Amino acid sequence: MCCNLFTLWRRELAAYFLSPIAYLVLLSFLVLNAVSFLLMVNFMDGRTTDASVMQSFFNTFFYWVAMLFVVPVITMKLFAEEKRMGTLETLMTAPVSDASVVRSKFLGAITFFAVMWLPTVAYAWILNYFAKDATPIDWGPVCAAYGGTLLVGLLYISLGLMASSFTHNQIVAAIVGFVLIAVIFFLGFLSRIGPPWVQAFFGYLASVEHVSDFARGQIDLRRVLFYISATAFILFVTQKIVESRKWR
Amino acid sequence: MIEVQDLTKRYAGVTAVDGVSFTVNRGEICGFLGPNGAGKSTTMKILSGFMPATSGEAKVAGHDVFTESEEVRKRIGYMPENNPLYPDMRVTEYLGYRAALKGVPRTKRKARIDEVLQLCGLGDVSRRIIGQLSKGYKQRVGLADSLVHDPDLLILDEPTIGLDPNQIRQVRHLIKDLGKRHTILISTHILPEVEMTCNRVIIINKGKIVASDTPENLTKMLEGGGTVRAEIRGDRPSVERALRGLPGVKDVAIEPANDDFLRATIYAPPRSDVRVRVFEAAAANRWTLRELSRVRQTLEDVFAFITMKEAPVKEEEGK
Ligand SMILES: Nc1ncnc2c1ncn2[C@@H]1O[C@H](COP(=O)(O)OP(=O)(O)OP(=O)(O)O)[C@@H](O)[C@H]1O
Ligand SMILES: [Mg+2]
Repeated sequence: MCCNLFTLWRRELAAYFLSPIAYLVLLSFLVLNAVSFLLMVNFMDGRTTDASVMQSFFNTFFYWVAMLFVVPVITMKLFAEEKRMGTLETLMTAPVSDASVVRSKFLGAITFFAVMWLPTVAYAWILNYFAKDATPIDWGPVCAAYGGTLLVGLLYISLGLMASSFTHNQIVAAIVGFVLIAVIFFLGFLSRIGPPWVQAFFGYLASVEHVSDFARGQIDLRRVLFYISATAFILFVTQKIVESRKWR
Repeated sequence: MIEVQDLTKRYAGVTAVDGVSFTVNRGEICGFLGPNGAGKSTTMKILSGFMPATSGEAKVAGHDVFTESEEVRKRIGYMPENNPLYPDMRVTEYLGYRAALKGVPRTKRKARIDEVLQLCGLGDVSRRIIGQLSKGYKQRVGLADSLVHDPDLLILDEPTIGLDPNQIRQVRHLIKDLGKRHTILISTHILPEVEMTCNRVIIINKGKIVASDTPENLTKMLEGGGTVRAEIRGDRPSVERALRGLPGVKDVAIEPANDDFLRATIYAPPRSDVRVRVFEAAAANRWTLRELSRVRQTLEDVFAFITMKEAPVKEEEGK
């Protein structure tokens, strides 16, 4: 069971790194982030702000563009391509459970997502290296910011994975995934308007605030729990969708 | 090895498999025949645990394919229709992945993969990327995959489709060889293949089983039909009249052959032999008779007869 998961996960990773699209995604993501980082450093240079550079880095327009657009591209092929090629049949007739297939695809995408963010850790170091009178980096909030990014990533990737399980067309999967993620994202803004109960409710979805809070080093355990349980729920739904071939 | 009871599968609106029951015994090579859309692939998908039936039950090695699906899948090597593979992987990589997935222990994997590579004639291309292989080699990779965990039962859905005649022969030999150790259920449209490799044939039409027997018995069933061919020199109308007048003859078809001979195909009911009567008629009418033989029916005729309800059975002309 656990060995199966590992085998499947390795295949998912191989599938990513054997495809040119993955490198394109990695590259464009890095360029986007580098530009964002550069603009920000230039903007902040010589000014006094109440947020650190790394803190602001997790709260830019670019950051969210990347999250909203890159995630569906990462997840679009997961089920759609296997369905189109028919390999879902060889996969599902091997002695593996539907649950481990869903989990391995999810874990593969998460791993790719993490690999994608990894180079940005260097920014913090670059900043210190080149700054005139460098203040030591406060690693706590930086780690928290990455943790928050990962949590939001869990939810978004599970949504993208679910979208991919609906169809055998990757483009459709990407669009549906994007729409699902965008709905969650924009519903989060309702936490800034309307009566208090509306604000309180949609506060749970406010990805932007969550990440910026994390980047300030504020870790709210309820939010951590929210992301983990929402992700678990969506993975469960995805598993049901994959199983649905059995009762159609 | 396989026990199927009243298996029915309905897709939205279409009944693909309709109350099918059959068994396949251990060690048998069983050919699964039927025209397009008969429900062969559907039955195989159910047996391999890819999807359950609407009703009925199916057991493989005593395990129910729905409730003990994983147990069943461990014992089956399934090669789906169209042979889906990951085109981005190398042959050995793919087989390694599949072996791991199917629970071949790590220590035995390498040896096992070498074995199936050799068995399927993939030695030369083991390092190549699957997507760049020719169709025949891809087909072999699919076959190697279905064998890699040394399953008790092989379910192969049209494994020889798209192969050249040499490769078909090789695969046929391979399957025959495999049949010594494995039980095999194979679907195909190439009937000589079935005649040569299978010890049993199941013919399915419109979701129902219409015949299940050895290829010999099936062809005998028609052969007993005693269709006879004669080549006779004589006056055509009188030959035709005389032959039709013989007891036991249902129909006669006459066409000219070379040297003024007539080729007559004489249809008679099962398990009768009209050859003696034809000979006596020829002798009585002083015709020259240069051939008098039973028409050997092939599985193809049986297939056509059973699935098209064609009567009387017309044998292929011009052989
Ligand atoms: N996914 C599906 N949805 C709806 N109907 C289907 C589906 N798959 C197959 N069918 C129908 O079920 C019937 C049996 O199909 P099946 O693929 O089992 O035939 P087959 O015997 O394998 O034919 P072939 O020789 O062409 O491969 C056909 O009428 C087909 O249209
Ligand atoms: Mg078929």
